[in-house]
This record gives sequence, C-alpha cells and structure tokens, in this order.
Amino acid sequence: MKNEKTVIAGAGVVIGLIAAALVFFGNPANMGFCIACFLRDTSGALGLHSAAAVQYIRPEIIGLVLGSCILALVNKEFKPRGGSAPVTRFVLGMFVMIGCLMFLGCPFRMILRLAGGDLNAVFGLVGFVAGILAGVFFLKRGYTLKRSYKMQKTEGALFPVVEIVLLVLLLAAPAFIHFTEPDGGPGAKHAAIVISLAAGLIVGALAQKTRLCMVGGIRDAVLFREYKLLIGFAAILISAFVGNLILSAVTGNTYFHLGFTGQAVAHTDGLWNALGMMLAGFGCVLLGGCPLRQLVLAGEGNTDSAVAVFGLMTGAAIAHNFGLASSADGPTANGKIAVVIGFVVVCVIAALNSGKKEA
Amino acid sequence: MNEYIATFYSHFGAVCFKKACVSCGLPAVIMPVPRSLSSSCGTCVKFQAPGEQDFPEKNEEIEQIVRTEGGRFVQIYEAEE
Repeated sequence: MKNEKTVIAGAGVVIGLIAAALVFFGNPANMGFCIACFLRDTSGALGLHSAAAVQYIRPEIIGLVLGSCILALVNKEFKPRGGSAPVTRFVLGMFVMIGCLMFLGCPFRMILRLAGGDLNAVFGLVGFVAGILAGVFFLKRGYTLKRSYKMQKTEGALFPVVEIVLLVLLLAAPAFIHFTEPDGGPGAKHAAIVISLAAGLIVGALAQKTRLCMVGGIRDAVLFREYKLLIGFAAILISAFVGNLILSAVTGNTYFHLGFTGQAVAHTDGLWNALGMMLAGFGCVLLGGCPLRQLVLAGEGNTDSAVAVFGLMTGAAIAHNFGLASSADGPTANGKIAVVIGFVVVCVIAALNSGKKEA
Repeated sequence: MNEYIATFYSHFGAVCFKKACVSCGLPAVIMPVPRSLSSSCGTCVKFQAPGEQDFPEKNEEIEQIVRTEGGRFVQIYEAEE
C-alpha cells in the first residue's frame, strides 16, 4: 500500500500549502483552517452567541462538507447512516469544542500554529497526544457507542443541504445574520468567499479520499503501529511551514514567528493549552475522529457525525455565552472550570460505554 | 487457507472477533480498514481460514466479511440493516 501513503502525503502537502495561502488571502494568522474557530464563527453569525469579534459564516466549512459529499457521490461512497448514540456524540462534541476554545484552535490549527512558529502549540500537542492515549485506554477496554444503521437518503443529505443554505445566507447577507465589523476581530479577517469556498471544496475532497484525521494518525500509530495517517499530519506541518517561509520571503510580511509571545489568536498559559487539547483529543477518540473528520463524514451522509458537528457548534455558543473561551490574555476562570467538568463528563461517558467482559 | 477481512461497526467488535479467531486457531491481526474497502476509518480483522464453515461465531458488531483475491475483495457476508 505504498501508493496510499504517497497519496496521503501528497494530500497533506496540498492541504498545508492551501492553509498557508488562505492566510495570505486574508484569513487570521496561523488560521488558514481551524474547524473549531470556523464553526464558532458560524455559530456567531447565526446569533447563537454574541461575541461580536467572531461572527462570520466561514465558506471553508461549507466547502469541506460539500467537497466530501460530491466526491463521495461520484465514487458511490455516499452512505447515509446514523443511530449510534447521537445524544452522547452531541455532548462529546460540545466538550471537544470547549477544549479547543481553551487552547484557541482545533487539532488542525494546532498543526498550523506549529508551522507558524507558535511554540505554545507544543504544549497543545503534548496534551493532544495525552488525550488520545486516554481515549485509546478506553478503546482497549471495550469502549463503543454501538453500531450505526442505514438511514434514508434524505436524512443523509440534510446536512449538506444545511451547508448550501448557509452559503445562500452568506451571499445574501440578510440583516439577521451577524458579521464582525471591519477591524472588529478575527471574524473580520477572511479570504474572498470564492477562494475560501474553493479551498474548502479541495480540502474536503482530499480529506474524503485519504480519510485524513488529526486524531486518527496518532490513534492508529498507538493501536496498530500504522503510520499512514500520521504521514498526512506531518506533511501538512512541513508544507505549511515551507509555505509560510516562502510567503515571508516573497511578501516581506511575517508568516513565521518563532516563540511563545506575540502569537496571533493564542495565549501563553502552557498548562491550560495542554489541558484544553487533552480534552479535545480524548473526546475526539470517543467520537471516532477530529472535527475535520466529523465534517467529512457528515458530508458522506453520516448523520452521527452531523450531530457531533451540531454539538461542536453548540459548544462554541456555550463557550462564548458563558465566558469559557480563552483570549490572547489567557484562559478564563470559567473556562478552567468547564474543562475540568469536561474531563469528568468525558471520563464518565467513556467508562459507562466500556465493557471489558467480552474484549 | 483463504484470507478474509471483516469490518465492524466498532473497535470493540473487532477486538472481540479477533480473540474469537485466535481461540479457534485462526491466524488473525487487527488493523485499520483498507481504504479500497471502505471510506470509513474503523478497525478491521484480517484472518485466515480454510473456508467459511471454519469462521468463529459472528457477533452483532460485524458489518461485512470479504475474501481477498489478488488484491480484490469479494463480499461473502453483509449484516442485515
């Protein structure tokens, strides 16, 4: 399966370069892609939270789902399925988002922050690996959310249709949709819609083809000594790093800044950076994939993943409404309490859905 | 001996089936599902058996079983939906 490794590595290189390019075209620094941030922005645009600095319907999210959906339809891999503990997945999604917003980024952005020289993300990576190991601990003890079932085509198609509706709302920009004012925060920084949408479509299709998953790479390496997905992880890191260096050289602007301080949309509290990503990694293993993977699976018709995405969006709304999300000033007291509660909830879900007697 | 791959609805189902194979004396390894078999990213069991009559009892977590024939997959069992 040497060819599969090459395909995954190639996809990782393309995705890393696209992520770097999106920053050049207007996205916030080290945020060419961030599934957590972009779902949070979309939640804000829909009025689910009122943090004025982070409100925008991100076309990258729409593109990711539709790119996956289109390729799955072309390859006859669009298979509507669901019914595997949807409420549990919704709750896990909520706490994954709370962990991500403690760190200020999803696992995908963690890689991009590393590629941009943000050393705070090293703490995030350490926590992320620890969280995945915690999830693997329960997988080995029989953790399961039970099987999924075949669903009607309309059920599987509904989530991609929701994304199309979001695209219409973005283009029409009716008064009830909230957009961050110019210079009002990260929500105001974005590439042109057509560029963001195209980037999402390409990355969504590549991720569907390769099953790229930030959690899956480390999980498979630990469980099976299988490093294929990890190659994609590494390829994104290296290509985004090279892309940042090239952009710095060509434009004269800074796309790579090595250090802990002065990083964009980041804080320097190492402990809570690590704990936030640990919660995210733990929850993602229990969900069966990172936030990017949930979007891609939802595009393939997996309604359990669609429910997890709705959980992520709700988690973002809760994080901003309850003052849980970190900022450049650091984590909040409420956020720390929420992450601790998150660990308790995720541990209870993992334990109650594990049974060692047969495994 | 033929080579088979069983896919599952959960990692737990794969672990159980692999143990059942080993207890029946069938060589079995647990691994990620090959991309050419499925777009899902779950766990599968690759095992060897003389024939289908030698399989361990199928658990409810089994999604499908295929026989590998020169890089191709021939489906021999699919769970009822």
